[in-house]
Amino acid sequence: MPSLHLEGVSKHFGGLKAVDDITMVVPPGEITGLIGPNGAGKSTVVNMISGVLSLTHGDIRLDGTSIATDRSDIVARRGVSRTFQNIRLLPEATVLENVLIGFHRREHAGVVANLLGLPAALREDRAFRERAHSLLDRFGLDEYADTEAGNLAYGHQRRVEMARAIASEPDIVLLDEPVAGMNDVESDELATIFRELANSGMGLLLIEHNVGFVTRLCKQVYVLDSGRMIASGDPHEVTRDPKVVAAYIGTSKH
Amino acid sequence: MIQFYYAYQPIIDFFLLSVGFGYSQQIALRAGVFSIATAGFAAIGAYTVAILVTKSGFPIAASVVLGMVIAGVGGLLLSLPLARLRGAFQAIATLAFVQIVISLLLYAEDFTGGALGVTGIPRVMNTGILLVIVAVVMYVMWSIGRTGLGRIFDALRQEESVAASLGVNIGRYHALAFILSGAVGGLFGGLQSLYVFQIEPHNFGFAFMVNVLTVVILGGRTTLLGPIMGAAIMAILPELARPLAEYRPAVNGVILILVITFLPNGVGDEIVFWFRRRRHAAAAANRAQAKEAKDAVTSS
Ligand SMILES: Nc1ncnc2c1ncn2[C@@H]1O[C@H](COP(=O)(O)OP(=O)(O)O)[C@@H](O)[C@H]1O
Ligand SMILES: [Mg+2]
Repeated sequence: MPSLHLEGVSKHFGGLKAVDDITMVVPPGEITGLIGPNGAGKSTVVNMISGVLSLTHGDIRLDGTSIATDRSDIVARRGVSRTFQNIRLLPEATVLENVLIGFHRREHAGVVANLLGLPAALREDRAFRERAHSLLDRFGLDEYADTEAGNLAYGHQRRVEMARAIASEPDIVLLDEPVAGMNDVESDELATIFRELANSGMGLLLIEHNVGFVTRLCKQVYVLDSGRMIASGDPHEVTRDPKVVAAYIGTSKH
Repeated sequence: MIQFYYAYQPIIDFFLLSVGFGYSQQIALRAGVFSIATAGFAAIGAYTVAILVTKSGFPIAASVVLGMVIAGVGGLLLSLPLARLRGAFQAIATLAFVQIVISLLLYAEDFTGGALGVTGIPRVMNTGILLVIVAVVMYVMWSIGRTGLGRIFDALRQEESVAASLGVNIGRYHALAFILSGAVGGLFGGLQSLYVFQIEPHNFGFAFMVNVLTVVILGGRTTLLGPIMGAAIMAILPELARPLAEYRPAVNGVILILVITFLPNGVGDEIVFWFRRRRHAAAAANRAQAKEAKDAVTSS
């Protein structure tokens, strides 16, 4: 299982250094935390890894190969998947269809087989549907399989997005505030799923405001503030670090 | 029945051709490109067939296939500049494509007969052949809908960034949509020229574009039923509204506005969606019942 390395990565928007020379690792089989106050640059990191934003400086490597200049669909096909902080579902499609798109990376039947409705394409589609249903089951969503995604409650929409992101069994998953707006019961359920995913070998990058949640789940935590990496390491130690405390208190608007 | 057929044969044939053009239009719209290029594809197919058949004695079936291939390649080429554009700019670019095709037809007078067009095209098309070809195209469209391809097109239309984040190569699938749109448009353009004896550039101008767009807007842009309903309305309406023949454009306009306002997905899509929702509701009720039964068993 490959790991993801960010080396001296920066992103400047004009004069603003949204991300400033950060280095970090997302190893396989672990949940790695990325925390920091609002505007610290966390989503910008995810957008650079997933190929949505270009890097100003630095390099991003997956299993030794640079993916820093790859388009987002190429990054995804290499096995790095993501969710969005502002949920992005296909609103007119059903929950099941939203998850089915997640299998795209695993489609092998080919365009002609699809156009002609050949058995290979239909068999593949049936297999994806079965897997999608069991994924939905795992996220407690199977009863909504045929509901239009746009009509779901917020917490459910987030879960659909996560089910979609892990459908193709990627090596690395970037979760941008996956439990934001959820209650304790819901986020505990998701925590269990995150642990299972990590145990199966996936590398998870968990972006989260809630320090307690990250501390419980992560082996390694990175702390961003105003684009700079102000601390990293064991979550219990990091969260006691005066710089981290100051960053959180200094901007504790939430 | 036979009498009915003879009385309405031209309307039925017009309907079948419109269905074909409707599918060409639908593929592009389904993939999220507001294209009006179908008129250009149809012109390419129609002129390929007309010129080859009248001037070189090329076999008719082979020239139809060739027209379809050339229009498909045209679609591929058109998709390249479109990849850099979005929204209204894409629509304008496809309009420009139609204008270029029509100007070339007017220009290359030696081949195309300029504004006068090509005449003396053998009229070999009939309802039976049209039906078979429409059925084949419908089968392909149906396959797109029930395999991963339709989902990808739907994803591109609804939220491109999501499709990309899941590994969909946007340019590749837009190109595919345009190859298909071009091939289907070119195919039915060729069939049309084998039906009407004579074609001229004017046949593929503004009125054609509006008609094809109307078929899909009235009928629907995602379902198999969409273009059928749209084309049916377009074919039957003038018959029903014969007393209003003078006001036909106005009547069409009013109906279009009513449909867009009250059935924004188009008549055909709305019908299919209605049945789908009923099926889903029934399935959900079944699941709830099964769950209740299971809970009752486990709690006792
Ligand atoms: N596309 C952009 N253009 C300009 N500035 C941006 C852009 N995206 C983010 N920023 C800025 O970069 C900083 C970091 O944003 P972001 O990564 O969203 O923070 P976080 O996710 O940690 O809350 C913020 O100041 C934000 O306003
Ligand atoms: Mg953010």
